[in-house]
Amino acid sequence: MNRADSALVKVFLYGLPIIAIFGVFSYSYNTGIIDHATGTAQFVNKLAGLLYAIWMTLSIVLSIRLMVSGPSRDQVLSRFTFIRERDEREVMLTGKATKTTFLTTLAILMFLFCISCFQVSIYRVPPEKAVDGKTGFVTLGLTCNLLENSKQAGAHNDEFLKQDIFTYSGLPISRTAIILGLFIWQICSYNITMRRLTNKV
Amino acid sequence: MAKNLPQLTIINRLNVLRADRRLTQEQLAKDIGVTRATIVAIEGGGYNPSLELAFRVARYFNADINTIFSVEEENQ
Repeated sequence: MNRADSALVKVFLYGLPIIAIFGVFSYSYNTGIIDHATGTAQFVNKLAGLLYAIWMTLSIVLSIRLMVSGPSRDQVLSRFTFIRERDEREVMLTGKATKTTFLTTLAILMFLFCISCFQVSIYRVPPEKAVDGKTGFVTLGLTCNLLENSKQAGAHNDEFLKQDIFTYSGLPISRTAIILGLFIWQICSYNITMRRLTNKV
Repeated sequence: MAKNLPQLTIINRLNVLRADRRLTQEQLAKDIGVTRATIVAIEGGGYNPSLELAFRVARYFNADINTIFSVEEENQ
């Protein structure tokens, strides 16, 4: 690993806990109060913002470097994911564990894709809008929006005083949570599979 | 995977040769450049080494590869 890669990895790893502390701090305190604070609090806030910006920039540089450079990827990501290939048997086990992780991740992605496309709405309409005397409705739908906020114009035109009982329109978790979840899943799945295989073979 | 082919089982005499030379698994592993877990797996029959490693083992014991590794056919 060359010096630049080594420095980037150190900044990324050592910066993570600091960023986590800042994250907890900013979540715990109202950011509006910090913005209007003076003195030490304002200085800490500005310093935190600067450090976060530097860390984020270097992390992006590191991720691009890992995407384009094979040797760096092997050395750096192997260290992150605790991959050890000391001999041919461990190389074989790594392959098996990676295959399991890839396939389970693919299954999770398929599941997430399906439930993100699925829409359910259960609602009640006023008696004057009843259809065949029925005021309760269940609508099922499938959607495949490739762009965020690509809702059709005029979608709210028929929102006539309907009383929502239950509505599900896509995943209730944020993109950040999904990415973080997949990130943790990849590492955990690989390590658990590797441990299981090591005990078996 | 091809079906209806006989199942081949690789048998090895690694533990016998190692015992003859009074070598520990750790020593053998170090000398042939693998981990002790790999020696344990080969001796236990859980892992079949590659041709390269098999030849390396044979060369280390100064023996023919067939005297260390042999094949047994299992009838299904």
